[in-house]
Amino acid sequence: MGFARLLSIRPSPTWAVFLFLAINSASVNAAQLRIALQDANTGQAVADAVLEVHIPVAMQGDFSAQREYSVDQIEKEFVANVTVVNVGSRVFFPNSDDILHHVYSFSPAKVFELPLYGNGRSIDFSQIFDQTGVVELGCNIHDWMLGYVYVAETTLAIKTDENGQAVLDGVPEGTYTVSVWHPRATEGSPELQHSVEFSDAEPSTLRLAVNLARDSRLRRAPNVSRTRYR
Amino acid sequence: MAIFSFRSFRTRLLVFLLALMIPVLLGIYIFVNRENNQYTTDTIDSYLELGADVFDFTREEHKNTLLTITSTMTRDWGFRNAFGTGDPYTIIDAADNILLRSLGAADMMLIASMDGDVIIDTKIQGFESLEGEWRDLMDAAASDINGIGDAIINIAGVPYQITVIPLFLPTPVAWIFGGFPLDNRFTDTVKQSIVSDVSIVEFAFEQGQQLSSVNVIASTLHEDDQGQLAAQLQRSGISYSGTQRINLADGEYGTLMRPLFGEQGDPLQTVAVIQKSYNENYENLEAFQRVLLQFYLVVIAISLLVVVLLARSVTRPILDLAKRVKRIEEGDYGQSVQVAGRDEISQLAGSVNKMATGLAEKEKVRDLLGKVVSHEIAEELLSKTIELGGEEKIVSVLFADIKGFTALCESAAPEAVLTLLNRYLSAITKVIEDNHGVVDKYTGDSVMALFGAPLTRPNDAQNAVQAALDIQQCMVQLNKIHREEGTGLMEAGIGVHTGLVVAGNLGSQNRLNYTVIGDSVNLSARLEGLTRIYNTANIVSAACVQHAPDFAYRELDLVQVAGKSEPVRIYEAVGPKSTITNQQQQELHAFADALVAYRAQRWDEATQKFEQLQLTIAESARGNSLYSVYLERMTYLPKRELPPDWNGVFAFNRK
Repeated sequence: MGFARLLSIRPSPTWAVFLFLAINSASVNAAQLRIALQDANTGQAVADAVLEVHIPVAMQGDFSAQREYSVDQIEKEFVANVTVVNVGSRVFFPNSDDILHHVYSFSPAKVFELPLYGNGRSIDFSQIFDQTGVVELGCNIHDWMLGYVYVAETTLAIKTDENGQAVLDGVPEGTYTVSVWHPRATEGSPELQHSVEFSDAEPSTLRLAVNLARDSRLRRAPNVSRTRYR
Repeated sequence: MAIFSFRSFRTRLLVFLLALMIPVLLGIYIFVNRENNQYTTDTIDSYLELGADVFDFTREEHKNTLLTITSTMTRDWGFRNAFGTGDPYTIIDAADNILLRSLGAADMMLIASMDGDVIIDTKIQGFESLEGEWRDLMDAAASDINGIGDAIINIAGVPYQITVIPLFLPTPVAWIFGGFPLDNRFTDTVKQSIVSDVSIVEFAFEQGQQLSSVNVIASTLHEDDQGQLAAQLQRSGISYSGTQRINLADGEYGTLMRPLFGEQGDPLQTVAVIQKSYNENYENLEAFQRVLLQFYLVVIAISLLVVVLLARSVTRPILDLAKRVKRIEEGDYGQSVQVAGRDEISQLAGSVNKMATGLAEKEKVRDLLGKVVSHEIAEELLSKTIELGGEEKIVSVLFADIKGFTALCESAAPEAVLTLLNRYLSAITKVIEDNHGVVDKYTGDSVMALFGAPLTRPNDAQNAVQAALDIQQCMVQLNKIHREEGTGLMEAGIGVHTGLVVAGNLGSQNRLNYTVIGDSVNLSARLEGLTRIYNTANIVSAACVQHAPDFAYRELDLVQVAGKSEPVRIYEAVGPKSTITNQQQQELHAFADALVAYRAQRWDEATQKFEQLQLTIAESARGNSLYSVYLERMTYLPKRELPPDWNGVFAFNRK
C-alpha cells in the first residue's frame, strides 16, 4: 500500500534556536547559486520552483537558523503560494479575509488543521514545521485554495521568481546536490537532481528546463469575490 | 352482358353498386390501414428513439448525480479526515457512509491511489491494483482536464455505471470511483419516464465472434418475456440499426438497441434494449378498423336499401308493364297501366297503353275481317301493304246458290229463313274451305268462291270441282235434316269456270275489297244460272274440265252466253272417274250419242234417244230433267229454219 507510506507520520526532531546566528555568520563569504528555470515544453519561465542545496548533515548546523514565516490568506488564496522554510521554522497562517478559513494539511511532513478562524481572533494560528518535505495546504471551506510550505533541511533553499530566476547566496564551497521541486514537476525525475560545484570565486549557474505536468488544481468558485451573501 | 345475365334489374343494380362500392371501400380500408400501420410503426419508432435518448439521458443524469455525490461527499471534512487517517477500515466505512447518504443513488465506491493501487473497494472485488476497464477509466480520467471519467463496467455480472473523480487533499491524492448498477431498479426508473420496456442484455461471444449466450441482466419485462427476448436476440444478435420487431408473449414489440458496454469484437457486450409493444397501437387500430367496418356495413346497408327501393320504383312499373304486355300478347287489351310521373317509364307506359288500344282496334279489325272476308283473304290483306290494284292470275271461280230460294223465302218466316240460310252458308263455306277455296262474297243465298286467289295452288280447278261435288253431297245431308224438320228441301246450283281474272283490292282508298273481276267471273255466274235451265246440280266450263281431268263429266251443251261471242262448251261433273259405275257410264254414253244425233239434226233419232234416257229416271223427275230440256228443244227446233253452219250452239240472250 504505497499510499499508506505517504500517510505515515513520523515524529520530527526539534531544533535548537541558538544555532541560527552561527549559521548566519558562517555564510558571509560563501558561494552563490544563480538559477534560471524554464518549462521544457513551452520555454516559459517557471516561477515558484524551489531549489535546495543539500549539504552534509554535519554542515547543516551552520545553516539551520530558526525563523518565523507567514503564509497569509488573501482573497481566498494562500499568499505566498509557495513558502520555503527550513526545518523547525514556525509558520503563521494569518487570515486577511473577512471570512473564516479552515486550513489543513494531510501531508506526511506536517499534518495539522486550523479549524475555522478569522482575522483578529486571539488564537494561535502558527505551526512549527519540524520535518522536511512539502506540506500541501488546503482550506476546507475553499477547495481551490492550495498552498505549499517547502520545509528544507537548511536555509540553503530558495524559490524562483516570476522570471524563473533566483539567486542563492552563502552556499559553502564544495560540490553538492541541488534538487528542484515544483508542484507540477514529477517527483524523482533525474532532471530534478543536479550535482553542482560551488566556489567562492564565481557564482554557480544552473539553467534548467523542467517538464511540468498539467496543473490539476481546482478552479476557483465563480462567485468567490462576492460582497453579499444574500 | 354475355358473361353476366341478371334475372332482375334489382340484382343488376345491386351487383353494380357492390362492384363499385366494394373496391372503393376496400381501397379506403387498405389505404387507411396502411397509413395507420405506418403511423403505428413511426410512432413506435419515435417512442423507441425517444426512449433510447431518455435512457441515455437518465444514465447521464445518474452519472452526474454520482459525480456530484462522489465529489461533494468526498470533500466533506469528515471524509477528508477519515481519509487522512490512512486506515483502510475507517476509509471503507466512510465510503459506505457516503453510499448510505446518497440514498441509493450510488451503490459502490472504490478508492485508488493516483497510481492505481486500490485503497478500498466496497464491492471487495479482490484486486490490489486497478486492471482492465478500471485502469482504462483511470487513465482516461487522468488525461481529462477535470480528472473526471465514466464508463460502464461489469461488476459480478452486473453492468455498473462508473464515474471517477480525484480526491483533493487539497491536491489530487486518490481516485474516487463511484457506481450504480444498471439493474431492475434503474430500468424501472427509465420505464417510468419513457413508458417503454427497458432491458439490459449481455451478449457473450466466443472466439471468432460466435454469439454464445444472451443474458438478460435487468428488465422491466416479465420473466417469461425476458426468456423469450433472450432467445430472440440469440438468433438476431446485436443490431444498432433501426427498430427490430420481436415477438413476446403478449404480442409484437418494437425493439431498439443502444450500446452500453463493450465494443464490437469484445467477448462481452452489454446493450440497452428499449421495447415498446405494438399492442396498444394495434388495439387502437383494431378499434378504428371495427368502427370503419361498422361504418361500411351501415353505408352498404343503406346503399342496398336505397338501391332496392330505387330498383323497386323502377322495376315495379316495369313489371306492371311487362304483365300488361304479356296480357296484350295473350290478347287482353283491357286494364291500362297507370304509371305516375313524367319519366321514361311513365312515357313507356303511355305508349304501351296507346299500343294496346291500337292493337285492340287492329285485333277487332282482324277479327271482323276474318268474318267478313275469308281467312285467307284476311291474312293476305294483313300481311301485305294494302294498295289498290291487282294482278292477273288463273283462278277457278265457283258460284253456288239455292234453286228456288225466293220461293222458299215467301213460304217461311224470316227468322227461319235466316237460320236455314246461315246453316246452308256455314255448311258450304266449310266445304269450300276444306277444299282450299276462299269465299269471296255472299250475296243473299249465293256464294262466290275462289280457288287460286289469293294463293295459287297447283290443283285449284280440281279443288273447285271437288268442292262443287262436295256441296252437292252436303246438300243431301242438309236435306236429311230439313226433311226431319219438315222444312222445304233445297237444291243447289253450282257453276265452275277456270280462267284469267284480275285479283286484288278493289274499291276506294278508305274502303276496299279483295276480290277478282273479269269475264271468267261472269261466266261462272252464268254457268251457275244455267243449272236451272239444264236441271243439273253443277255446270263446269270446258276450261275448268281441262284443268281438272280426274273427274268424269257429261258434256251438256255448247252455249253462247249473254255478253260473250265465243261459245262455251259446258259439262256436268258427275264424280271422280274412279267412282263412276257401269250404269252411269252407259247413261253418259247414251247421252253423248243422243247429243251427237241432236247436233247432226237427226231429230227423230235424238228424240228417241232422249226419250229412252227419260225412261231411266224416276217418273216424277222426268218433266224437270236434262233430257226434258232437249226433248223440249226438239219440239220447236225442227220447225225452225236453222242456219247452214248451225253447230248445236244454243244461245242465251238473257243474263
